[in-house]
Amino acid sequence: MSFIEVRNLQKSFGPLEVLKDISFDVQKNDVMAIIGPSGSGKSTMLRSLIQLEQVGGGSIIVDGDYLVKDGIYTNPTDSKMINSKMGMVFQQFNLFPHLTVKQNLELAPKLVKKEKVEDYGHRSIELLEKVGLASKADELPSRLSGGQKQRVAIARALMMNPDILLFDEPTSALDPQLTKEVLEVMRNLAEEHMTMIVVTHEMEFASNVANHVIFMDDGKIVEAGTPDEVIKSPKELRTKRFLNYELNK
Amino acid sequence: MSYEYFMSMLIPMLEGAKATVLLFVIAIVLSIPLGFLLTLAVRSSIKPISYLAQTFIYVMRGTPLLLQLLFFVFGLPLLPVIGEYLVLDRFVAATLAFILNYSAYFAEIFRGGLISIDKGQYEASKVLGLSKWQTTVRVILPQMFRVTLPPIANESVSLVKDTALLYAVAVPELLHYAQTVVNRDFTIIPFFIAAGIYLLIAFGLTIVFKYLERKLQYE
Repeated sequence: MSFIEVRNLQKSFGPLEVLKDISFDVQKNDVMAIIGPSGSGKSTMLRSLIQLEQVGGGSIIVDGDYLVKDGIYTNPTDSKMINSKMGMVFQQFNLFPHLTVKQNLELAPKLVKKEKVEDYGHRSIELLEKVGLASKADELPSRLSGGQKQRVAIARALMMNPDILLFDEPTSALDPQLTKEVLEVMRNLAEEHMTMIVVTHEMEFASNVANHVIFMDDGKIVEAGTPDEVIKSPKELRTKRFLNYELNK
Repeated sequence: MSYEYFMSMLIPMLEGAKATVLLFVIAIVLSIPLGFLLTLAVRSSIKPISYLAQTFIYVMRGTPLLLQLLFFVFGLPLLPVIGEYLVLDRFVAATLAFILNYSAYFAEIFRGGLISIDKGQYEASKVLGLSKWQTTVRVILPQMFRVTLPPIANESVSLVKDTALLYAVAVPELLHYAQTVVNRDFTIIPFFIAAGIYLLIAFGLTIVFKYLERKLQYE
């Protein structure tokens, strides 16, 4: 059984159809890269999985449970339970600016899971060490570089022990040097078999770290397969054009 | 000018300043939370509540505070039928007018503060599983207060000065006593003393708000 099954997903913003009949599967331990031009619907698709966007039709099944069945959402209790299996990392980091790095990590475990300080206190430090930022535990986000902020955001998502992490263009707001340090953390997560879906423009990451690539254009999945199939030898003209543009940027 | 004479002016004025400060404290302590509730009402998805709050804010901000004061102190008892139950102590009636008027201004300030908060903050809270209440109290409000602190400080200083409007509804306060001495002794010194006291209060407020701004700094 797939960890996530997406079937015939549809969404419109008014008259504009942004997702047209999207279907795909994500297995446990998959690292799936979603590539495509701006406005192709890839972020909307990702955000639909974690209920930041509401879809108009189709189904989303997570770990055997329907989040949406033929366009009808399940009850709030179940959808909350399904959401708690996922973590999300945003392009703009979205750290809480009034809290220190450590407090950013600990807020949700404390409030949502009602964990005790003995539990989350160690874990926050461990995760900060993992992303190389233990020394910044008591800093405010405003004192960090973009790359550091994004690594904190990853650690914050990991604090909730999600089964899958969703990344929405995690390095698009960063310059190349800072991009590298964030990709490094993501590569480590992949090596630890974290299940991830990554919307990205980093073709290198998509080729080398992902085991599955989806190319989206105009609200549809144009091509899907392994990185070798989609990136090294694309079949569709649109994919070729896009890759040509991205790789020669 | 002898020390005794100076004190004979100052002491009644300080007595008046008590009313000034009392009005200020009551008005600020009640109008800030009321203003926040109004903001929530304006943003409510229940349309009648939202419209009611918007109308209230529009009326309170669109008419002179002096008019509102006169209405609450002298107008309420003249209302048909219910008027006889609305004969309030003048100070109480005036304070009520101040609270309602200022809550409308604070509501607008808070509304601006909420608009300035990035929607990413709500999204991050949601994906982490925070409830609406937790998001509001732990994520949004602390940021909103930091953003709105300077305009709140500004309104507070305005409020101190607006307390002088009590003069118009014959509630004795600082300016009232100053004016009395000016008329009695034909000297303008009380005006300077009054100005000095207002400035002193404003200075104190500035210090308090600067301290709060520093304490809540996160940028």
